[in-house]
Amino acid sequence: MKRYDAIVIGGGHNGLVTAAYLARAKQSVLVLERRPRVGGAAVTEEIFPGFKFSMFSYVVSLLRPEIIRDLDLPRHGLHILPLESTVTPMENGDYLAAWGDHDETRRELYRHSPRDAEAYDEYGRLMHFMAQAVKPILGMVPPDPTSFAPGDLAGLLKLGKHFRDLGGERLHALVKLMTMSSADFLDEWFETDVLKATKSASGIIGTFLGPRSPGTAYVLLHHYMGELDGVFRAWGFAKGGTGAVSESIASAARGFGAEIRCDAGVSKVIVGNGRATGVVLENGDEIPARTVVSSLDPRRTFLQLLEPDHLPSDFVSDIRRFKFRGSSGKVNLALDSLPSFTCMPGVGRQHRGAFSISPSLDYVERAYDDAKYGEFSRRPYMDIVFPSMIDPGMAPPGKHVMSIFVQYAPYALNGGWTDAKREAFGDAVVNTVESFAPGFKSLILHRQVITPLDIERITGLSEGNIFAGELALHQLFFLRPAAGWAKFATPVRGFYQCGSGTHPGGGIMGASGRLAAMRILKDGT
Amino acid sequence: MSRNGYDAIVIGAGANGLVTAHYLARAGKRVLVVEQHESPDPSLDIGWVPAVIVRDLGLAGAGLRIQEPDPWITAPLEAGGTLELSRDIERSAEAIRRISPADAVKWPEFCRRMRTLAGVLERLYLAPPPDIESNDARELARIVGLGLYVRRLGKQAVIDLARILPMSIAELLDDWFENDALKGALGALGIWHLKQGPRSGGTAFNFLHHHAGSRGGVFRPARSNITQALSSIPGVELRRGERAAVLAKNGRASGVVLEKSGEAILVPLVVSSADPRATLQPIAFELDPEFARAVDNIKARGVVARGTLALESVPGYATLCIAPSLDYLERAYDDAKYGRDSAAPYVEVQRTDGRLELHVQYVAPGTHEDLTHKIARALNAQPNQVQVQAAEESLYHGELTLDQILFMRPVPGWSRYRTPIEGLYLCGSGTHPGGGIPGAAGRNAAREIL
Repeated sequence: MKRYDAIVIGGGHNGLVTAAYLARAKQSVLVLERRPRVGGAAVTEEIFPGFKFSMFSYVVSLLRPEIIRDLDLPRHGLHILPLESTVTPMENGDYLAAWGDHDETRRELYRHSPRDAEAYDEYGRLMHFMAQAVKPILGMVPPDPTSFAPGDLAGLLKLGKHFRDLGGERLHALVKLMTMSSADFLDEWFETDVLKATKSASGIIGTFLGPRSPGTAYVLLHHYMGELDGVFRAWGFAKGGTGAVSESIASAARGFGAEIRCDAGVSKVIVGNGRATGVVLENGDEIPARTVVSSLDPRRTFLQLLEPDHLPSDFVSDIRRFKFRGSSGKVNLALDSLPSFTCMPGVGRQHRGAFSISPSLDYVERAYDDAKYGEFSRRPYMDIVFPSMIDPGMAPPGKHVMSIFVQYAPYALNGGWTDAKREAFGDAVVNTVESFAPGFKSLILHRQVITPLDIERITGLSEGNIFAGELALHQLFFLRPAAGWAKFATPVRGFYQCGSGTHPGGGIMGASGRLAAMRILKDGT
Repeated sequence: MSRNGYDAIVIGAGANGLVTAHYLARAGKRVLVVEQHESPDPSLDIGWVPAVIVRDLGLAGAGLRIQEPDPWITAPLEAGGTLELSRDIERSAEAIRRISPADAVKWPEFCRRMRTLAGVLERLYLAPPPDIESNDARELARIVGLGLYVRRLGKQAVIDLARILPMSIAELLDDWFENDALKGALGALGIWHLKQGPRSGGTAFNFLHHHAGSRGGVFRPARSNITQALSSIPGVELRRGERAAVLAKNGRASGVVLEKSGEAILVPLVVSSADPRATLQPIAFELDPEFARAVDNIKARGVVARGTLALESVPGYATLCIAPSLDYLERAYDDAKYGRDSAAPYVEVQRTDGRLELHVQYVAPGTHEDLTHKIARALNAQPNQVQVQAAEESLYHGELTLDQILFMRPVPGWSRYRTPIEGLYLCGSGTHPGGGIPGAAGRNAAREIL
């Protein structure tokens, strides 16, 4: 049997990025995907005849530009379409809108608060700068502060210098962003509640935190990172859905010579003398390899693919307490026609952007309160988009698809998730939309409701956490996934990790996959 | 020396103000302390009294009493009986074993690890905060020294420090323990004087902040009469019942004006232990707009009401804690988030000098009609036994959240007790290291001034 230079377990976007980079360096690479298609949580599926959905992850903003360039993804079919506006319907029938045109957004803000319209530009400038300042950190291998190795000390010094070079004011802003709640942070800038609510909603995505929980301000920055690259605007759609992103990376990997095998779940990593030597498939086949790389989340990577005695016991307990706590669900709808929202009646350009159901800070905070005590939000925060308005290929002519990202739906629901609870959750979502767009329910042709438990079952992401592990401050950087093991290597020689559960993690970014490939090539195992 | 004979005026005769005054006096300055309240507050100071202050100012000879009750907490259990935690780690473990054998096993290690981290804070607190922007060789050497000190504590301490400080106290306690009553009693310290719930990030830091100065295994700060002791030692002149406002012109402080009499006292040095906002907002016109905005943005949301409890007989406990679980505390916080008082508040009763003092959280500033009923219900007492004072703005002059500590306190970049007004300094709990450590900010400020 052929012995590969590298086997990559899991064909999500990070696994594919690692595979592509390794293959590009002339390694023989095999990607093993459990499901019939690559993509992991970035897949496009025709759930109802003629209606295609980005089933889980639905927008693209963070995909690293160097990856797009290195792998020449546009040539492999990557095409990002801009998502230009966000409209937030308010409970009083008014709305807040942010348009692609900056001046129009300013005028709209002015309508709500002249003061906020003034502050908006300054806020935007600061956030742009901060995103710029944080980006090099996303692209670096985190140094280990507990180590005395020269490389780590140099890394720490470099990091220290990087921060000092920001200068006082910006350094302070960074500390605030890292530690404050998004609500408190925004309070320092704005007075319009609905503006703060909509902005802070982007700070809670994928977390088990509310807008008033410290640590959420950091996620506000993410919003500004994609925009800076000049490649696409803040958020975009991939033509053909997010599955097309995965397909383009897979195509690039194949182009470099990588093999990709679907319907090939891995049950174990073979370890001999403290070294990974290959994998065992679910069907019992064994495939040898010099290097094995897992793109699965840390819990599956270390507690499922390996035996506990392959790992130091304190490392195992670190991985056991790594937090997942999935908090988001998804409702995918096939629509007969587009709904009309009370705040902005009719069908128009607003449907080519997002609708944010975040009418007030208290609204979003209450949604969190429900989840905190083990219930799904009765009136949840939602991010709604109509992909068929941007890419007509997603639905039959005249019909539409509607993607609703919903928070909060706790993985650990009181009494556990059942079919009835899933439908009740779907009803809560649909009824809440109905309250902002009367008549909407009658337009629904088909409905798919996805709970965190469904995300876990289908994609394998533990507890349905969309970031493969919470993006909390104590699970970032040199602590992701565990202190001492944040540099893609693992305690088992020849076994590496490359998924979103490693630094920097989260979103369709691919940075983890790229950094892992660099590390593997550097180690030259 | 100015014509009135004073070199410096200190605003506020709390522990920090008096400590600054006495350190300045010891350096040969003639100091006047102006205090707005007529009579001293009879309640004790809560928090670690650093030994160096006691030594420097000779407080031991001035009647200083530091109380560290044992057992330090008594928490009623739902199934009846109480959980009593003592200074002796083994005895506490024994008490915990009755409610959770697993938690009892972990108790000594938990106490040891928290003690190590609190030790790091203690070292940070007895000096001005590290200035990470500085290019001064001495300051950089100090920062490197701190880093080396932490690393010498071992790998675990470095990881704990990075991991635990941003955590919520709920996450920290859930990592270690299973029992609700134990987690509630410990978790309450994590939310002290914060408008945050136990599931909010940064509350683990607040927990460690209030553990600083206590021995391992004791998670309630000491109580002392340090303010009283400081008032009784000679060396500074104290004028009570006068509210002082800072006089500033052309970026320089020129003295204070007493509001009641209108008398202006001109001195070259003014040190305020009052809330930084109260000190600086009235002279905002003298400040750079960015700085003024930073001052306006200081979060100091009051959440604590204090009061007293009258019982017919002296209770058997030294400190009674009504915080039966982390969820109880979180729900109490939920009310506060939406601007209400907690329906079921966290209440702690502290027996000191025959008085039963109450700490009630979360209560918005102001007076509240039915608060006594809520407190009585939590304590299983009669409403007429409960006396509550009007709740105040944050006693800490700035919440101890991660964005308002060290070089971010009181406002980012101005953590060295100076202000943009020449001759005006801050020395209160709004400055590093913040509330709950009476005198530490005052001493740091005095040393910085000198």
